[in-house]
Amino acid sequence: MRRVLIAGIGNVLLGDDGVGPFVIKVLESQYDFAESVELADLGTPGLDLPVYFSAADAVILIDSAKFGGDAGDTRMFRKDEIVCTPPRTRIDPHSPALRESISLVELTGAMPRDLLLIGVEGRGFEPGSPLSPPVRQSIPRVIDAVRRELHRLDTWCEPKAGAGIPAVWWDPICEQRKERECACYTSD
Amino acid sequence: MTSRIKIDPISRIEGHLRIDAEVDGGLVSKAWASCTMWRGIENILIGRDPREAWLFAQRFCGVCTTVHALASVRAVEDALKLQIPPNAQYIRNLILILHALHDHIVHFYHLSALDWIDVMQIPKADPVKTASLAQSLSSWTRNSPQEFKSAQDKVKALAASGQLGIFANGYWGHPAMHLPPEVNLLGFTHYLQALEFQRKSNQVVAILGGKTPHIQNLTVGGVANAIDLDSLGTLTMDRLAMIRSLIDEVIPFVHEVYFPDVCAIAGMYPEWFDVGCGARNYLAVPDLPNGSGFDLPGGVIFSGDLSAARKFETAADPDFRRAVTEDSTRAWYKGGALHPWKGKTQPDYTDFQDNGKYTWVKAPRYDGRPMEVGPLANVLVGYAQGHPLTRKWTDEAIARVSAVAKGKVTVDKLESTMGRYAARAIRSAMLADLAVKHCELLTNNILNGDVATHNPPQFPKGEVEGVGTHEAPRGTLSHWVVVRDGKLANYQAVVPTTWNASPRDSQGQVGPYEASLLRNPVADPERPLELLRTVHSFDPCMACACHTFDADGREIAQVKVL
Repeated sequence: MRRVLIAGIGNVLLGDDGVGPFVIKVLESQYDFAESVELADLGTPGLDLPVYFSAADAVILIDSAKFGGDAGDTRMFRKDEIVCTPPRTRIDPHSPALRESISLVELTGAMPRDLLLIGVEGRGFEPGSPLSPPVRQSIPRVIDAVRRELHRLDTWCEPKAGAGIPAVWWDPICEQRKERECACYTSD
Repeated sequence: MTSRIKIDPISRIEGHLRIDAEVDGGLVSKAWASCTMWRGIENILIGRDPREAWLFAQRFCGVCTTVHALASVRAVEDALKLQIPPNAQYIRNLILILHALHDHIVHFYHLSALDWIDVMQIPKADPVKTASLAQSLSSWTRNSPQEFKSAQDKVKALAASGQLGIFANGYWGHPAMHLPPEVNLLGFTHYLQALEFQRKSNQVVAILGGKTPHIQNLTVGGVANAIDLDSLGTLTMDRLAMIRSLIDEVIPFVHEVYFPDVCAIAGMYPEWFDVGCGARNYLAVPDLPNGSGFDLPGGVIFSGDLSAARKFETAADPDFRRAVTEDSTRAWYKGGALHPWKGKTQPDYTDFQDNGKYTWVKAPRYDGRPMEVGPLANVLVGYAQGHPLTRKWTDEAIARVSAVAKGKVTVDKLESTMGRYAARAIRSAMLADLAVKHCELLTNNILNGDVATHNPPQFPKGEVEGVGTHEAPRGTLSHWVVVRDGKLANYQAVVPTTWNASPRDSQGQVGPYEASLLRNPVADPERPLELLRTVHSFDPCMACACHTFDADGREIAQVKVL
């Protein structure tokens, strides 16, 4: 069985930057996955990312992205599209390290064969703010993309019977309206 | 001719540190360090339950998650004068040690080694000669000609493909790069091996903390790990044995690879012990409580005078509680110099003004003085006190560096760019020894029948103040809380990079980065490798990471002739 890592990346305290971890919470609460699929909220791991790659055969990353779209637009990037621009000189360990992490793991020969990045164009990054409405609305599309990729990888996820409430403890809107969250994000 | 170099990796919200330097006659004459991102993240915590603050604090920074979580629970425990059980102490210590080892290994190999190692020289190396050099430095079992040949083949393949990938932006062939090809190959091979040991350190944190990168096991008053030697799903003897065996795999990489590599490379760049001396005031807090004291000593040193070093006896020494202020005169905030318990985070943005406000980082001061924090401060403070473990590894490092440099390098030379690299390796060697010690302390305490991990907190009516300190991989971290009627009334985090990347203050005193860049040589302003070496020596980490994938790449160094 192929081991698949689905990872959300981003800082949950900075508005739309937290879309990746947000989607992970929705997936965890509302879907069942094949046993070989692992979900992880990786925050902003910088160059710690390679640590999580090497145990997987395929990786699906969900991250806020900047590709010149409108807020809430989603775009898929495959491994080669990500690494085609060389990583820049870095000063601190936070500068986005996706290209560098992929290249580093590739050098060691442990890079998962498949890597898909699902990017969501963000709008607001204010500390303590919730996801902006267009990014919230993009979540079912992101989940569809995750499901399609799992299908392509010959594995699966299905809506859970008795889906729970996503435990998005950092999001002010979710904190206030826990009971309504459930219905909002189911794809299908 | 004077030119101005701006190193600025930001576009919109990513990247956080900008360095401006004026270069005159090949040397830096003025420097500014600026954080380009708003850091009002602590405001999120005001009004919240102090017991959940650590969950949020853990998200301040994606690389230093555990350190903020820990400083946060310690701050609340300090406010409540709440002691935690020995098991909780040891479990926390093991998490801290393994996190720090992981972080220091990544810093050296993946964040900064390629400032010194010229990858493009690797194809010229002789793997057999590399192996005999490596075997003369260390007994590491993976220093065989085959290992070096295999790493070299990877570089040759990249070079032949014309796609340098990860190495496309290095300053290869820079005049300040001068290692022999074999040493470049040696360092690069260990760069590849390092990844495995990063993973093993991380596994220990995951076993104890429940998950990484965000641990789940902290609680105000202790840890949430259940200890039951007979039950699965808790901390059992099997799990303790697994932790011990992972530690036993990580230690040789630190003692036989990282430490000797840094000493050898430092010995081949001895001129970098004369560059990059910073603020010359040093601050470290005691950490790794062991029941009777601390295994990492703390204290302060002023003006580089080790003979007059002052020792801190407790995790938050009365002097430390009193002496810390944050000055916003030159930062984009309102207010002057305030104690963190009175601290405010109210933005007052102007543009970048050389003689006015120019950064989102406040200027922390200790009795009005800028302080360097980090492994160098940690090592100097310990050395000055005659701390045996610090002395053991510092003396060993100095002997090794001096042997390679063919000249005596003295302790005072650690106050330099290369000294910071050496100090980080010294600290790692110490932490590797302490990992074993704290694993044994935990195991023995449990075997003696103590399974307590938590003392419940009681919140009083009215107002209490607390400070939680931690000697983190990048240096002294302190979280300052005011709790009123069981809710957070104020929260300020004074993070290591705030001390080091501090701007000028109301007295015009420059911060440690700015001081360390003065008189740095710059051979080619278009390729300011020397400035990156000095800034990287501090291991910068702006504590409010925001990671967004950027579909475009962009050059970061700009040079303007004045």
